[in-house]
Amino acid sequence: MAVTSIKKAEFYIHKADVDGVLAALQNTGSYEVMPFSEENGDGASHPVHPGLPKVESDLGEARFLLRFLEPHFKDDISSLARTMGDRTQITLPEARKLESSTDIKDLAERMRLFERRLMEIRSELSLLESTETLLSGMKGFPYPLEMLTTGTERIRGLFGSLDADQAEEWRREAEGALGSMGEVYVIGGTEKDKEVRAALFYEESFAQKASEINGRYSFSRIDLPSSLRGTVEEELARGAERKNILSAEEESILSKIKGEAQRWVPTIHALSDYWNVLRDRYLSLSSGGATEQVVMLRGWIPESKIPEVRTALKSFDDSTALYLSDPEEDDTPPSYMQNPSWARPYENLTRLYGAPKYGEIDPTPLLAPFFFVFFGMCLGDAGYGLLMIGFFTLFLRKYKRMPGTFRQFFKLFVLSGISAVVVGALTGSWFGDIIDAFEIFAFLRPLKNAPVVLNPMENPMVFLAISLALGVVQLLFGLGIAFYDGLRKRNYMEAFADTGGWIVFLVGLLFWGGVAANFLPPETSALAKTLTILGAVVLIVTQGREKTGILSKFISGLLSLYGVTSYLGDVLSYSRLLALGLATSAVGVIINMLAGLAGGVPYVGWLIAIVLLIGGHLFSVAVNVLGAFVHSLRLQYVEFFSKFYTGGGRVFSPLTYKTNYVDIIKDPAE
Amino acid sequence: MELLGIMLAILGAAMAAGWAGAGSAIGVGIAGESGAGVMTEDPGKFGLVLLLQALPGTQGIYGLLIAFFAILKVGLLGGGGEISVSVWQGLGIFFACLPIAIGGYFSAIAQGKTSAACIQMIAKRPEETGKAVILPAMVETYAVLSLLMSIILLNGIKL
Repeated sequence: MAVTSIKKAEFYIHKADVDGVLAALQNTGSYEVMPFSEENGDGASHPVHPGLPKVESDLGEARFLLRFLEPHFKDDISSLARTMGDRTQITLPEARKLESSTDIKDLAERMRLFERRLMEIRSELSLLESTETLLSGMKGFPYPLEMLTTGTERIRGLFGSLDADQAEEWRREAEGALGSMGEVYVIGGTEKDKEVRAALFYEESFAQKASEINGRYSFSRIDLPSSLRGTVEEELARGAERKNILSAEEESILSKIKGEAQRWVPTIHALSDYWNVLRDRYLSLSSGGATEQVVMLRGWIPESKIPEVRTALKSFDDSTALYLSDPEEDDTPPSYMQNPSWARPYENLTRLYGAPKYGEIDPTPLLAPFFFVFFGMCLGDAGYGLLMIGFFTLFLRKYKRMPGTFRQFFKLFVLSGISAVVVGALTGSWFGDIIDAFEIFAFLRPLKNAPVVLNPMENPMVFLAISLALGVVQLLFGLGIAFYDGLRKRNYMEAFADTGGWIVFLVGLLFWGGVAANFLPPETSALAKTLTILGAVVLIVTQGREKTGILSKFISGLLSLYGVTSYLGDVLSYSRLLALGLATSAVGVIINMLAGLAGGVPYVGWLIAIVLLIGGHLFSVAVNVLGAFVHSLRLQYVEFFSKFYTGGGRVFSPLTYKTNYVDIIKDPAE
Repeated sequence: MELLGIMLAILGAAMAAGWAGAGSAIGVGIAGESGAGVMTEDPGKFGLVLLLQALPGTQGIYGLLIAFFAILKVGLLGGGGEISVSVWQGLGIFFACLPIAIGGYFSAIAQGKTSAACIQMIAKRPEETGKAVILPAMVETYAVLSLLMSIILLNGIKL
């Protein structure tokens, strides 16, 4: 029940065999590296694997290549299938061969050239575009642009923009000042434009005067690219031509990149994974310690995996020593959850909350039966359950190599679907009331009615009582676990006073209530009273034990009885089992009713009815599965876990083959 | 006077579906705004964001459910014969619809805010999705309780 016991493992390895030992450990996937501290001060230093720098630099290139090429890569396999584990498999020797036959540096260099050229092209294109906008606003300008950009021997040109309402005034003043020594142009925009373009030519000696005039108006100068020489029309044509050439080049580069991406991305995926595996291996060495001849590694191995590790290291027996010890007080060992296969799908739920701390109880098998039942009650429809089973089984069959967490999640949903079928059959709910609602299904009615024990639509109070009773059972079970945990940790005060007191008190109250409601024979009344009073006394006496002074001890103890309201709230919280179950069947009933009404429409009614049935029930199953999942989970986390579980531990994360794109097949020979 | 009874029942149904639906719309809207912000940074979170955005949507469904129950009860749907509903019975049905109308409206908005905050949380810590789904579900408890009370009350009214 508790998480598996973990041993602290210390390896002393002769330098020559370090690589082999690390590879073997990575193969087992049962060893978590712990950074080696240098507290001993015996000259140990962190060794750096000679292969590490190369792997790091290769990985850097691979990252660049993937970033650059992946957007152009078209994967034949959908990303869904990839996530579901449809990956290329590659063995280690294949990966090594791939590595030696691939010159990643050269490839990266070539791609960098492409990248640079693309950048140049793009920046030139954007320059051309802005020039084009500028020039298209100057259409009709009669002189070569040379006059504005460089000028002639004696004439200078100025080009700029001006507020439209000042243009006329500016022109008059400039013309007056320059006289025959210059020329002024306003390139008329349309009437709506707030600004107009203007050009001014003048003899060099008038430069001072021209800028004075311009300064008085809102004339702001626009620099034209100095490459412009011909007339506006000529330059526009030249720009368009240049643009065509550049776009063609860009296109050809892009298609080349596409080809390269198609050719290289799968290889780089495989290599990047292979290098990542090597990097993990090399880095684990860096957290070890070394003397001249010996490398020391420290880490964690689950006790159940120790024989496996020993076998894997057999060939290194001469040069390797392994010392095992129990974790010490101030160690923080990881927790390794090991559950029977029926409970394994529920491990994800525990992980979602937070893994157990080392030595804490693993709640997975404890919550599994409750979650199973609760989900069934919250969904409560056999038809929807069948849909779930079908859908998730299909996925499980289609993708055989699904990653472990996914597989377990899908199994969890299949199990939950089974539970919904059971509850739905017992309450007679199949897609709401589809069998009773439509005459076509009349032949199924006896079959549907046979297993029905209770119809929650007609008898909600009975179903509510069942829900609350399940709540009482789970809460007392949770307290029971806390009691057991207290005994296990030899914390008797916690076990008997805190948990035991409440158990006795609550059971007494339940009996008392049972007697009062005439469920139990009146003879048990004395027992009920004794239990209640005993429990209350234990709580009053012990719950104030941290306070000083008799009076405040007594008052704290007495006030602790007020905690009974939180138990009441917890139990009432289980009423959601009824509410959600009813909601599911009722939504189903409504869909069937609407479809039935639509079916009465002449000619097309049957079509509308079918669309409504399929769409409606698919929507209903999606919404209700989400609701059922979240609320069954909440009952575990909030009501159940609060009695005995804190979580917040660290999951065992061993040195193993962590890959992103391909599966690397472990090589037992290595 | 019989007509008034039925009209009161309809008023109740209308309020249940209308207010709970309005609350859900606001709640889902709040969560959606937050989700859109997160997705500008990381569009890959769409699945998680959608899950959290959907959570405040259940109140609308609960309201619709009660509305259907109420009009079913007075025989407005489903081809049953005329049922006579007195003013007092109609008033009772109206009151029975109030828990989900009020509880649904306010809890959906509160849940929307919690969902929005949780969407922000998974933007930074996607590994904590489990916790992010539970926090809005805490709010929904009270919508479920409202729904439960509405069902029990409707069930208790004898026609």
